Amino acid sequence: MDDQKPTLGGPAYLSSFTEERRVVVFGPNGAGKTSLLRQMAGLSNVSRLLEAAYLPQDPYMFRGSVARNLHLGLSDHLYPLSDEIAGELGLGVPADQDARTLSGGEAQRLALARTLASDAPYVLLDEPLAPIDVKDRQHVAAVIAGRIGHRGAVIVTHEETTLATLADEMVVMIGGEIRQRGPVDSVFLTPHDDDVAAAVGIGNVIDGSVVEHDGSLVAVDAGPVQIWAVGDVEPDGRARVMFGAETVTVFKGELGESSARNHWEGTVRSVLPAGRLVEVVVDVGVDVAALLTPGSADALGLDTGSPVHIAVKATAARAVSRS
Amino acid sequence: MSFIVDVFADAIRFLGEVGPELRDIVGLTLLVSGSATVIGAVIGVPLGVALGLERFTGRGVLLALVNTGMGIPPVLAGLALLLLLWDDGPLGGLDLVFTPVAMVAAQTVLAIPIAAGVTAAAVRNLSPAASEQIAALRLSYTGRWMLTGREVWPGIVGAVAAAFGRVIAEVGAVIIIGGNIQGETQVLTTAIVQESRQGRFGAAVGLGIVLLIIAIGVNAGLTWLQLRDVRHG
Repeated sequence: MDDQKPTLGGPAYLSSFTEERRVVVFGPNGAGKTSLLRQMAGLSNVSRLLEAAYLPQDPYMFRGSVARNLHLGLSDHLYPLSDEIAGELGLGVPADQDARTLSGGEAQRLALARTLASDAPYVLLDEPLAPIDVKDRQHVAAVIAGRIGHRGAVIVTHEETTLATLADEMVVMIGGEIRQRGPVDSVFLTPHDDDVAAAVGIGNVIDGSVVEHDGSLVAVDAGPVQIWAVGDVEPDGRARVMFGAETVTVFKGELGESSARNHWEGTVRSVLPAGRLVEVVVDVGVDVAALLTPGSADALGLDTGSPVHIAVKATAARAVSRS
Repeated sequence: MSFIVDVFADAIRFLGEVGPELRDIVGLTLLVSGSATVIGAVIGVPLGVALGLERFTGRGVLLALVNTGMGIPPVLAGLALLLLLWDDGPLGGLDLVFTPVAMVAAQTVLAIPIAAGVTAAAVRNLSPAASEQIAALRLSYTGRWMLTGREVWPGIVGAVAAAFGRVIAEVGAVIIIGGNIQGETQVLTTAIVQESRQGRFGAAVGLGIVLLIIAIGVNAGLTWLQLRDVRHG
């Protein structure tokens, strides 16, 4: 485990990011995400490691026109490219406008276009979507990913909805340490431990003890329910099982034949909007949260007190040892 | 009270009879202090940008030198230069003692730390976001300094104004290194010293008024530039 938790600052740590792919760095405030980017960009006391284009967190507009700011630091032959990217990002302002009159979202689009137009082999972006309106984020994220292309990129973000668009791989940082690294989906669905689970906002964490083994699966007895999960926990050991709310399927009426190893019967405790989705909490002896689209929640006619069945595939749940 | 009134009446009369002598003094004053300010700014402003922006070895020593230089008594700068340029001194061969060139050199020594110190303060006052963006742009040293200089130009205008104000008002350095030779190395401040020592208060006050008009005029112009920037963002 220790070799997966290099501390901030070691050259091996930094060079672990230099492969040619897009990595998002995710984590709570103060986790050291910006420090990591600054180190990679050579802005701390570490010698520059990467030839990288770096987008700092707050866009700053220099005196002068939009065009001057957009072209700052770029070679002449990249001017048309930066103009083109600015257009794609939706920066629709005259080139001769005073850059200091731009709104936060416009300034961010300008700074993004300038950074992405750079011919540096690596791209480092610190919270690129924070100043962008929510409704435009998906589009901007798609442009960012497309314009990074095959270059290596490290993107610090806490914006969950665009993670999968921005990057192939995800790193969870907590307290200056890398706590988990892997494909975006797998980190969200199977966090290594409860800190990571809290950081990525996973829905369900249930404690119990291991009662049975079946290959890579373990059955964890949590009192009212028994849960099958992926994990390497010794028999009779205490275990914590985690699974994302989006991996929970909700059924009305009888549950037919299913490949899911975990299915339980219960009643709906609450139905609440969660962003563009609906969070349904079902009491099956313990509370289990499920994320549904508003459409399927409506189709099932779910309401507080509705009797339902829920199912979770064992491969979507992860069991870790608790000492 | 009538003494003061008489002096000012004399001063007005003196200014009314502007002869070639006064024109020479004003001309030499502007030439010497103007040259010193320009040279001091050419050296001091980039030095100040570097001190405010970069982290390098020797930066602490340079900052200490600049801060000391900002407060050094002009008499001492003049004396040090006099020793260097004196016939038996290390640079005696240049034969520059009691010449306008030596006066420019002395005032340049006074102007550099002011230009550098005020510029460095302006650079340090840039917002953290600005400093971060400047560092992020991957520019060459000159590119970075030019960008920073343009960003803080009202501060640089202030630095130049402060340097000019310091050198045109000082008397200690030019009187030692220039010798206050009438028609050759006499400037407004040293002329005021001479006139007042000889009891010609009217002339002294007249010269003082001219000095004040120059100082106010230059600073008013530079202030106007800075205010115009504030208005236009």
